[in-house]
Amino acid sequence: MALHKYLARRLLLMIPLLVGISLVAFLISNSIPADPTAANLGERAAADPEIVAAFRAKWGLDQPLHIQYLTYIRNLLRGDLGTSIRSHRPIADELARFLPATIELATAGIVVSVVVGVIFGVISAVWRNKPIDFIVRFVSLIGVSAPVFWLALIGLLLLYLRWGIVPGPGRLDARVPAPPHVTGLYTVDSLLAGEWSTFRNAVEHLLLPSLVLGAYSSGLITRITRSSMLEVLSREYMTTARSKGLKERTVILRHGLRNALMPVVTIIGLSYGSLLSGAVLTETIFAWEGIGRYAYNAARTLDFPAIMGVSMLIAIVFVVMNLIVDLLYYVLDPRLRQE
Amino acid sequence: MRRFLVLLLALTLGVVGMGGVTAQEERVLVVGLSEDYHSLDPSRAYEPGGSLIHHSVYDTLVTFPSDSVSEIIPNLAESWEISEDGLVYTFHLRDDVTFSNGDPLTAEDVVFSFNRMKNLKDNPSFLADTIASVEAADDLTVVLTLTQPDAAILAKLIFDAFSVLNADQVREQGGTDAEDAAETDTAEEWLMNNSAGTGPYMVESYEPTVQTVLVRNPNYWGEPPYFDRIIIQNLPETSTQKLALEAGDIDIAMDVIADQLDSFEANPDIEVFSTQSDTLIWLLMNMDPEVGGPVSNTLVQRAIRYALNYEELRFLSGAGANTPASMVPIGFAGALDPSEALPQDLDQARALLAEAGYPDGFTIDLEYPDFNYIGTEFGIVAQKVQADLAQVGITVNLVPQEFQVSLDLYRNGEQGFSLWLWNPDYYDTLDYVEFLPSGVVGNRANWTDENADPAILELRDAVKTELDPAVRAELFGEIQRWLQENGPYAPLFQPGVHFAYRSDLQGFAYNGQWRVDLTLLSR
Repeated sequence: MALHKYLARRLLLMIPLLVGISLVAFLISNSIPADPTAANLGERAAADPEIVAAFRAKWGLDQPLHIQYLTYIRNLLRGDLGTSIRSHRPIADELARFLPATIELATAGIVVSVVVGVIFGVISAVWRNKPIDFIVRFVSLIGVSAPVFWLALIGLLLLYLRWGIVPGPGRLDARVPAPPHVTGLYTVDSLLAGEWSTFRNAVEHLLLPSLVLGAYSSGLITRITRSSMLEVLSREYMTTARSKGLKERTVILRHGLRNALMPVVTIIGLSYGSLLSGAVLTETIFAWEGIGRYAYNAARTLDFPAIMGVSMLIAIVFVVMNLIVDLLYYVLDPRLRQE
Repeated sequence: MRRFLVLLLALTLGVVGMGGVTAQEERVLVVGLSEDYHSLDPSRAYEPGGSLIHHSVYDTLVTFPSDSVSEIIPNLAESWEISEDGLVYTFHLRDDVTFSNGDPLTAEDVVFSFNRMKNLKDNPSFLADTIASVEAADDLTVVLTLTQPDAAILAKLIFDAFSVLNADQVREQGGTDAEDAAETDTAEEWLMNNSAGTGPYMVESYEPTVQTVLVRNPNYWGEPPYFDRIIIQNLPETSTQKLALEAGDIDIAMDVIADQLDSFEANPDIEVFSTQSDTLIWLLMNMDPEVGGPVSNTLVQRAIRYALNYEELRFLSGAGANTPASMVPIGFAGALDPSEALPQDLDQARALLAEAGYPDGFTIDLEYPDFNYIGTEFGIVAQKVQADLAQVGITVNLVPQEFQVSLDLYRNGEQGFSLWLWNPDYYDTLDYVEFLPSGVVGNRANWTDENADPAILELRDAVKTELDPAVRAELFGEIQRWLQENGPYAPLFQPGVHFAYRSDLQGFAYNGQWRVDLTLLSR
């Protein structure tokens, strides 16, 4: 079907999906046998019934469930995501502050894993069953099986402490102030402000976390690239291309890889979506306060508005990622365009 | 494709290779901490992490010495008198104190700060419960009137929540001390990135979850501190703090756990400090027979206290841990000496159980929040209790619970036999009266005036109104001894608390309330 109709239909489908997510997040948060008052009031305050009542009234916790939900939806439609019970700040502001950190880390991570994964996958397929294939597959197996927190700590121990190749945790050195806020991505913002040393510092701080975060997806991408390439390499048109006298490299890359990319793109999209939903362990170890840490803190303190807000944000991120992947198919595969 | 890869590689190497740090003339101290606060408004302060900041930026009327909490010394108030009936405290302020913007300190600022703290009705407001009114008798005299005699009031006044703020400056930013301050005060926003205090430092910036930066206060009235700038960096993972400290990127790691001590001690560039914390880990035994079952029986409670192996429990917690003799932690005025603690006596325990009617023991559930509290793994402590009680015939079923769930049950008095912790609300032994009948904790054990022994009720009522320190110490001694033989609690231990810092740092001192005084450090 025509592209614009397809796009419109997909965007419209997002609405019932978001309603569904908000309902599920709301119901689950409220069915936990624990009370946000306990999580957010100190020992003494919680023992004082007046303070507890005031707290519940302030946060609408004394209303019946369906009223709470409808109030939430009504505010949501006005663009008001509510206020965090824990920090007293508007959720929308907090998400806008934490999301760029995750975008920066996830993007760097996916770039690493795509570069490493595709290259390894092609090498592995072209030189199938040769020693290099086994080495590449072994390395990607480590990437997929090693626990991310272990990789992170070993990375810091060796590359940071022992050899001093990368800087320590955090998005910037403690002494380097953040660049003026435009997007929230320190790399982009420092470039926009012309602060070269800040840019350098931000990139250095991204190196290890993105390597660690990208390890798992690079393993996945390697395997999918390899199997997709193997499938394509055995096709007849490859023989045709070779018999035409084209250079081997052109055959493999232009005729082979290009056609093998479809399933790889799917995996890349899903991996990127999952990295964007935040990686709590990586973010904790590297003191990289993004959506993952935010979701964890919100859940731990039963901060209902924050839980709802972050759940919906992650849902939107995934849905948009899926949409982009589907659009990429459209771009990559001429056969779809011909309909 | 290849050209792109080469370019990318060159770009990355070039960017990394260009690295270099410009020399700093400033003296900077970097502290690594797992951030537990989300506001820098001292009148709402309730988290230990925030104390590092408030203690450096604000002052209170009185204070503790840098390394103990058992003595009260003058600070903004150079002297004070207490009325005969213990209801009126008159403080005389120093005449040479200025705020960070140059304004002189007056009694009005104290009155404003205290009323604001009380009327904001935030977490620490309960500390002002016994304050009836606070007034400025003149520019340098503050009169505090209480609702009842409160021997702990001076200790409470040292809490961050009683920090003195510059009334004019805070009012300009929307602050108010009126009755409805909880709804109308809007100064919190400004206080997040600024400060209005009399301390040696000022808040320069606060990036939540990233770092807090303090700079030297040019108008400080006292001895200027060594460091020009203090950066408190949020490093939520203790392993990360350790690596950053070893690399020299931070100067102090605030959240060291016992497992890391050996490694730090072997490192000549790092010093370690360990002591027992003020946290008390203890067992709750519900006095209501319907909830507590066998453990609601006095003899059974006593038997359990005799059955526990305190030495091994202490060992479980790691270096620095200590066992208090009773339900008042070591370090508090009037606490019994640890040598007076009950020894383990399995025979005595079995005899008591038999006397109570359980010669073959009994089975009971032990509920506990399944979490790790700064190095103390509750699951492991529970298993140890289970093992110890098995030796006298009590079969304990472990019931781990998610923290919030357990907390709710505990606060509602629905736990029969459980493992908990208590951190002092303020640094006076009076706080531990909450464990007595009808106190905050007493209620959670369903121990009220109705079912308590009159002897303990008498002691409780006496100590609540006694002001003479010597008599108080005596009364607390009697209460603790009574609790050793009776009552629904078994104190297990005070976990160790550890800090690690670069060895070239001087002036490190530990105090239970603010932990480390950053203003006293130098290199």
